[in-house]
Amino acid sequence: MSVFQEDLFYSREHTWVRVDGNIATVGISDYAQEQLGDIYTVELPEPDRDVEQDEAFGSIESSKSVAELISPVSGEVISVNEDIEDDTSVISSDPYGSGWLIMVELRDLDELNNLLDAEEYRDYVGEEAGEEE
Amino acid sequence: MNDAPWRLLSYRVLRAAENMAIDEAVFRLNRQEGLPPTLRFFGWQPPAVSLGYFQKTSREIDVAACRQAGIDIVRRPTGGKAVLHEHELTYSLVASADHPLFTGDIVGTYRVVSACIVEALRRLGLTPEIAFEGRTAAGTPLEGYCFAAPSRYELLVGGRKICGSAQVRARGTFLQHGSLLADLDPMRIASVMGVSVDGVTKTTTALREQLGRVIGYEDLARLLRGAFEDTLGVRLVESGLSPAEESLMQRLLSEKYDTDRWNLEGQGGSGADADTADS
Repeated sequence: MSVFQEDLFYSREHTWVRVDGNIATVGISDYAQEQLGDIYTVELPEPDRDVEQDEAFGSIESSKSVAELISPVSGEVISVNEDIEDDTSVISSDPYGSGWLIMVELRDLDELNNLLDAEEYRDYVGEEAGEEE
Repeated sequence: MNDAPWRLLSYRVLRAAENMAIDEAVFRLNRQEGLPPTLRFFGWQPPAVSLGYFQKTSREIDVAACRQAGIDIVRRPTGGKAVLHEHELTYSLVASADHPLFTGDIVGTYRVVSACIVEALRRLGLTPEIAFEGRTAAGTPLEGYCFAAPSRYELLVGGRKICGSAQVRARGTFLQHGSLLADLDPMRIASVMGVSVDGVTKTTTALREQLGRVIGYEDLARLLRGAFEDTLGVRLVESGLSPAEESLMQRLLSEKYDTDRWNLEGQGGSGADADTADS
């Protein structure tokens, strides 16, 4: 059963966003990592690069597929999780924590209105309510 | 939903770069253009090695040997390992990930497509099995060679792989393509992939070996078309690329699949994709 953490925003492209001031941390949802299976490789942008909401910012290769990563927000990448380059398994084991992908300095906070809350996202992926918030 | 016909892009033999540019254009525009699920059959001329999206070229194949032998090199938009495309029928399927037949589940897609190919192979009198294993252990001599490692929902005959597939997903659409081996040249594979002839023959088979005869590619495509239609309960209608697909295909060809930057270095992938997808 996938975990849908309550305090996050989610995109229909299966990323999550944690907002602190104007800084957004972005990762993939527990549902997405379950779908992908074992994750082999992650391709992420360089710091300082701009990402745009609804545009690709990287890719993940898993045992089942290549999945394009679609950015849930627009802004400048200020940090990239380098730990996952050495150990991609943290994306699966801790998708909402140490498996984060990039941090973005948000250009437009209003864009967050285009995202889903945990309940809307849970409905979107058509799953029953998870046991954790 | 299943009453609406699907699109069939009939068997054609094209260059590697053209094949990948068409697959990606159809994949990128499926949702945007409201196009039906699309099944395509194709061959490769000249023969080509395709690399998985993330593969390191120099580690997986002998570039100089490929060039000398007149073998093209192309990087796929999909994952997986290196494949030599020479004596095979290749299929590609693009559909919405939430299409009722595919239910948004990655393994489900492989399962559905495998069922169609299994049906085609049964019609030839073969008894294929679906492979469930993952990769071979890292560091084995056949590591980079696609057919050496059966991965989920790929097809074996007599314990050896006969059909391998790979997939990419984005924006609610998937592209899955795969190779059904009509014949096998282990020496040739060994020479460009840096694997042993013995390793190839132990892990891989082909229709000719299994059936003791050669099947023409057009006939094989017809057989697969029927198997897809009957297994999925859909009707395939022959058509061509839309004008938007044609134009994106040409752009992907010149900016991506005909460039060493993408094919050999893996540069200019997702960033360029975002531009093309949204144009």
